[in-house]
Amino acid sequence: MSNKMVVNFTSWIKSAAGISITISILVAVFAAINSGPYLIVNTVVTGGMLALVATGLTLMLGVLNIAMFAHGEFFMIGSLTAYYVFTPISEFISENPESFVAVIGPLIAIVCAAIMGAISGVVAEKLVFGPLRKRSTDNWVMNSFLLTVGLSVLLVNLHQLIFGADFKGIVGYWSGMPISIADVFISRDRAMAFVISVVIVAMFWFFMTYTRTGMSIRAVSQDITGAQIVGIDIEKIVLLTISLACALSAVAGGSLLFMYPSYPTVGLEPLYLAWFVVILSGLGNILGAVAGAFMVALLKAITVEYIGAGWDFVIPSALIMLVLIFKPSGIFGSDVRGALDK
Amino acid sequence: MDTTTAHQQMNPFDKLLDKLCLTPAGLLGLILLFALPYIPPFNQEYMLRWLIYCGFIAAMSVGFDLTAGYISIVNFGYAAVSGFGGYTSALLVINLGLSPWIAMAAGGMTAGVLGLMIGMISLRLRGIFAACLSWFFGLAIMGLATKMVWLTRGPSGLRTPRLFETDSNVPFYFLIIILLYLIYLACKWVVRSKMGLAFQAIGQNMDAARTSGINPVYYRVFNFTMSCAIAGVLGGYYAHFYGILTPDIMHTGKTVEVLAIAYIGGRGSLWGGAVIAFPFIFIMEIIRSSLSNLPGLNLIIYALVLILVMIYYPGGFSYFYDTNIRKVKNKALRYFFNGRA
Amino acid sequence: MLLEVKNLDAGYGYLQILRSVSLNIDKGEYVGIVGPNGAGKSTTMKTIAGLIPPMGGSILFNGEDITGLVTSQITKKGISFVSEEMNLFVNMSVRENLLMGAYIIKDKKVRNDRLDFVFDLFPRLTERKDQLAGTMSGGERKMLAIGRGMMSDPKLLLVDEPSFGLAPQLTANVFESLDVLIKTGVTIMLVEQNVTKTLSVTDRGYILENGKIGMEGASCDLADDPYVRKVFLGV
Repeated sequence: MSNKMVVNFTSWIKSAAGISITISILVAVFAAINSGPYLIVNTVVTGGMLALVATGLTLMLGVLNIAMFAHGEFFMIGSLTAYYVFTPISEFISENPESFVAVIGPLIAIVCAAIMGAISGVVAEKLVFGPLRKRSTDNWVMNSFLLTVGLSVLLVNLHQLIFGADFKGIVGYWSGMPISIADVFISRDRAMAFVISVVIVAMFWFFMTYTRTGMSIRAVSQDITGAQIVGIDIEKIVLLTISLACALSAVAGGSLLFMYPSYPTVGLEPLYLAWFVVILSGLGNILGAVAGAFMVALLKAITVEYIGAGWDFVIPSALIMLVLIFKPSGIFGSDVRGALDK
Repeated sequence: MDTTTAHQQMNPFDKLLDKLCLTPAGLLGLILLFALPYIPPFNQEYMLRWLIYCGFIAAMSVGFDLTAGYISIVNFGYAAVSGFGGYTSALLVINLGLSPWIAMAAGGMTAGVLGLMIGMISLRLRGIFAACLSWFFGLAIMGLATKMVWLTRGPSGLRTPRLFETDSNVPFYFLIIILLYLIYLACKWVVRSKMGLAFQAIGQNMDAARTSGINPVYYRVFNFTMSCAIAGVLGGYYAHFYGILTPDIMHTGKTVEVLAIAYIGGRGSLWGGAVIAFPFIFIMEIIRSSLSNLPGLNLIIYALVLILVMIYYPGGFSYFYDTNIRKVKNKALRYFFNGRA
Repeated sequence: MLLEVKNLDAGYGYLQILRSVSLNIDKGEYVGIVGPNGAGKSTTMKTIAGLIPPMGGSILFNGEDITGLVTSQITKKGISFVSEEMNLFVNMSVRENLLMGAYIIKDKKVRNDRLDFVFDLFPRLTERKDQLAGTMSGGERKMLAIGRGMMSDPKLLLVDEPSFGLAPQLTANVFESLDVLIKTGVTIMLVEQNVTKTLSVTDRGYILENGKIGMEGASCDLADDPYVRKVFLGV
């Protein structure tokens, strides 16, 4: 063990990131001992899905400078698509419970949700953000933010108008006995939701860090002129980013359909929480967003456990405000001022 | 009006109008608003209720625009602050037996204190971060109002005594118009003074403003306090007009409504939102009540208008009026009065 | 003729800065554009690089009309622009920055060859391979920006104000690295405020004043010209 690593480790522990991660882990362990491991299971499942939504949100903010208020609506689109795809599939499954569709079917629904999310993201870019970008980029952050507000109201009410305001939910994706790990029973749906989120976040991280396209997305987020100079086609990156971000949100909506049935304003809660995550963890940092997602999920789970349902906006938002007062750039954010501070 | 020489040459009537921050067209509009309850289609009670709601949103949008249009920070918890004022006012009346009028003012004051707090803690944040912080603040307050059932009765709503002991909506209508005008006047006076310049400097570039000797702390906090106090008074009005108060008044959706009106009206103008609210919200209400089999259609139109305005005319109605109508109208009037253009 | 600019008009919004600027560069030449502040030197560069849309005139590269193309397409044709602000990707390592410079090269092997080539040119960058670009000193960043410009194997390198914001010693370093580059056979167009230095290293020069080409000629002739000496060199 070299001395340098120890020094690095102690300085990390003293940084905001180190402190908050350590505290969260301690709190999680304590809560698990105190009231049972199911708390951790809840945290991990919600956190994984929240990580997907929040990464999409970070991407929109970091690359396109769009403070997305309509991100929850893509969650809603995902859950709606999954519902309409899965309903006929589940009928087929109930007639042939032994067929391989019982395993593959839910995945088909989730993939469809992702595709639909990506398509609607592209449509939003072509019809809403693109025209604004072409006309003028003065005051872009604020104007585009207001556009997303309009988009959110529009999508929520279109859902209500076309599909109705009732709950469109399913009993569950994967039937069968819950999986038991160390005395805790986890339903297959929850376990799969967690697996899906881990796989997607890992793939996404790999994509952003090592592939040429992923690197060019990061390049655009850091210096758009520099990106143009090296020959990156900005239009293409914009379309790719928006479809990725929306697909991530829609995947979360699709895979959580068993917990959150689809209805017009289903996206509101994921939106709030994802914004908590993004503000808490700072901008443009994917791993930070993932860590922040688990923290927010833990905070929510603990609030619900010890204080009661309904307080889960009050306590987390109060804590996040405290963090913001002491570290305005977020726990994992750098102090470099970005375009968003305008 | 633009220069001091013009000021000296003005006749007394123009001078008075200038003091009252009105143009002749604005005066006409105000008179029209006061006459509205006696003009046939609008003298029905349900239409008056709609108009009162228009007036409420109009006044909210004026207060909102003071922050959004001048220091360029969207107070996304605006409706929550307003609801906080409303709840304070209602609880004071119910528990302490204060007169609703005094309670309304007290609601304004407590909301102002809340604004002071938001202004203080959002000081180091800029742009979208400050907007998020006020939003989280609003969510927290709304959560509190929903969960403190022993105090607020939660989602089932609080019964509040009304301001006037009558079934007619006319006095309420006059009151909201007067409130709207007073709020407009107060905001306009502030932004016309030296303070308005400081607001704009901070809104455009905080660092540059700081280096040129403007203390952003004072101005930002003052702006937040004033704008939130306005919201609080209006929240009190809302509580004592509808007679029932639920946490729904604090919902983000309400902020979005105010925000949309303020931006469609034109940000940084103060009057744009107030003018556009009346026709716009009124038409929305007509659509909502006549097409009740298509729920949400009015909000779809709402959202579409907001999107189209933001893409193609980000200056909003006030910009449109200033560039296209005002010049033509003045030319026409000059021709009409003087016989030459 | 590698690059031929004919009667170029350009500017920002309603403000026209360049008025009918014409210039040309042959393959392998080292050409400098000098002139006072606000003469439109950087605007010329940015317009050629496609960052500012031209208002009139035409730009021919290798005999092909590239007027009005977007920057990424122009880069693909073989023009590389090293801007005054450098526009580095501050949260990426030196190596990643250089690899992004070779974005238009799809073949991974060729990209790595270019990387070795640039590391050979600038051994200093090799030492700092894994450092974040944002944490480097001004001179190193300039070097990195030039290196990144070379990564795409350009036919023409546009270099905008390499001495901007640098100490004299570092400026000398940057000019040295440009000298190294010109020996590798690349064509360079250089914009500079430092008139003496520029005219002493380049083959040919243009003098830009008030958005127009005032004079042109071989650099040594320009440096001896009485008008230039009086206005720019203060002699």
